[in-house]
Amino acid sequence: MIVDHPDTAAWVAERFGWQTADPELGPQVPADQLVALATALRDELDFAYVVYCVAVHYPAEDEIQPKFKEGEEPPPVIPAKPDRCLVTYRVRRLGPGTTTFGFHLWVPTGETCPSLVDVWAGMDWQEREQYDLVGVVFDGHPDLRRIMMSEDWPGHPLRRDYAIDTRHHPWR
Amino acid sequence: MAVTPSPTPEPATQRVGGLELPVELLRPAWGDPYLDLDDYDAESDVMALNLGPQHPSTHGVLRVKLFMDGEVCVRAVPYLGYLHRGVEKLCEKLSYANVTPIVDKNDYVSPMMNELAINMTFEKLMGCEPPPRAQVIRTIVAELQRVASHLLWVGTFCLDIGGAIGGGASAFMHTFRERELILEIFEELTGCRFHYNHHTVGGQRHDIPAGWDTLVKQTLDHIERRTFEYEDMLTENPVFKARTIGVGVVDPKLAMACGVSGPVLRASGGDHDLRRDAPYAAYDRVDVDVQVRTEGDIYARYLLRLAELRESIRIVRCLIDDIPEGPICALKAVKLPGAVKPKPGFAYTAIESPRGELGTFVVAGPGKRGKGGPNPYRCKIRPPSYHVLSLLPYIAPGENLSDIIAILGSLDPIMGEADR
Repeated sequence: MIVDHPDTAAWVAERFGWQTADPELGPQVPADQLVALATALRDELDFAYVVYCVAVHYPAEDEIQPKFKEGEEPPPVIPAKPDRCLVTYRVRRLGPGTTTFGFHLWVPTGETCPSLVDVWAGMDWQEREQYDLVGVVFDGHPDLRRIMMSEDWPGHPLRRDYAIDTRHHPWR
Repeated sequence: MAVTPSPTPEPATQRVGGLELPVELLRPAWGDPYLDLDDYDAESDVMALNLGPQHPSTHGVLRVKLFMDGEVCVRAVPYLGYLHRGVEKLCEKLSYANVTPIVDKNDYVSPMMNELAINMTFEKLMGCEPPPRAQVIRTIVAELQRVASHLLWVGTFCLDIGGAIGGGASAFMHTFRERELILEIFEELTGCRFHYNHHTVGGQRHDIPAGWDTLVKQTLDHIERRTFEYEDMLTENPVFKARTIGVGVVDPKLAMACGVSGPVLRASGGDHDLRRDAPYAAYDRVDVDVQVRTEGDIYARYLLRLAELRESIRIVRCLIDDIPEGPICALKAVKLPGAVKPKPGFAYTAIESPRGELGTFVVAGPGKRGKGGPNPYRCKIRPPSYHVLSLLPYIAPGENLSDIIAILGSLDPIMGEADR
């Protein structure tokens, strides 16, 4: 059953109860609900076209105490953040008046992200690329191999802690 | 007498991805990209055949491992990365204004498109709007680039088919002769034949020289006359038709799921074009007549690209006489490299490149004292060729080896942007 819903963010807020803070990123999705949302987007809202899946690495941050003058009340401490990746997706409904819809989730390093290959076939290579370059492991991917770098390449080049002048053998 | 109710008529169209598609186009028979060859027919003699990476028909350095049962492919496994240059990592180290000449090299047969795509994203992050004159010049150079890119495709595709049309090299020479004229137009405008570095954040770097519009009009008249010669040479050529009609049919539903757009989707019946559906630059000033065919085979892709080429010529003719006066850049050019410091945020924009949706997703990172940083935090280029190649494991099984070469050529992948 396909419904014409002009405002997908409102549809998601009504159906799943997730609010959208940044319209470019879309709602934040719990990892266990990701496949359910993707299937609903494809089957009920007709988002049949894959635009991208991008992972962005954010290194661990220490606790920060913002500066303040003596005698003033200290501002609240910004809590420490673990090493994590932001995984963002975007899908599109084609044709006249085409719209895109994005959603995202946060994946701490060491945890896995559910794979969407079964929902959109095009997520296969997208997830392989993000696994290769950023190091996010997609759980349930049928063929999670490196795609850009060689099989024995050390590290994941698009992580922020991978220096751009990292030395490597010249024959790679 | 019992009256049997008349059966409800089968719907003639089905709605997929916002498009009404004829039901007969949706053929769910796709090859299995994850086929386990151990379970495959034990009697058959499956042979692994390596295609590429150094092979002229792979349009660059693509390697495909083909598992052949006799002359028929049962599984195709593409291997990418031979041209991986780390463009996205480099973008994180360069300032916003210095990214443009780097992304030029991604899709090296249509550099103007790469520049336009990434600068539109930076402009969205900056919240700046290019002046009308820049928007119209952008549209004109984008359409000229599309003409050049499709001309190159016709030539290289005839080379791929090879002996079928008298060696194929004559068509290649003809189209390269006409493409050279477009490169001369761009040389007049930017000083470079290739890798123009013409677009910048907020507009253009070069204003059009005196007499340029006359040159463009004369060249387009010439090229349009020549396209009819290609038609004479190829469209009714019985050998060309035998090699292309009914070969490499792409199901529009599969194309959408793989993220394939552009001529491949439109040749399969998908009526989608970002120039009409989500206008950018000056496309709201012209009516883009989107070409759609429903056969989905190689021949349909060929006819569609020729029709698109003529449509691009028409769009340029609509715009070239009516270029508005005014500045060509919204920012002061001298201060530019330091001036581009967008606030932290996320942005995605897409354009219709000759191969489909070319988009850029940019994360702007924080800089000093709460302001924007001088370079992108993460820059993802969404190339259409990468998605088109992911179609190969689905459509190659069941085809002959010689047809796989023709299919690969008809998809028009550019490895420079697929590998980045």
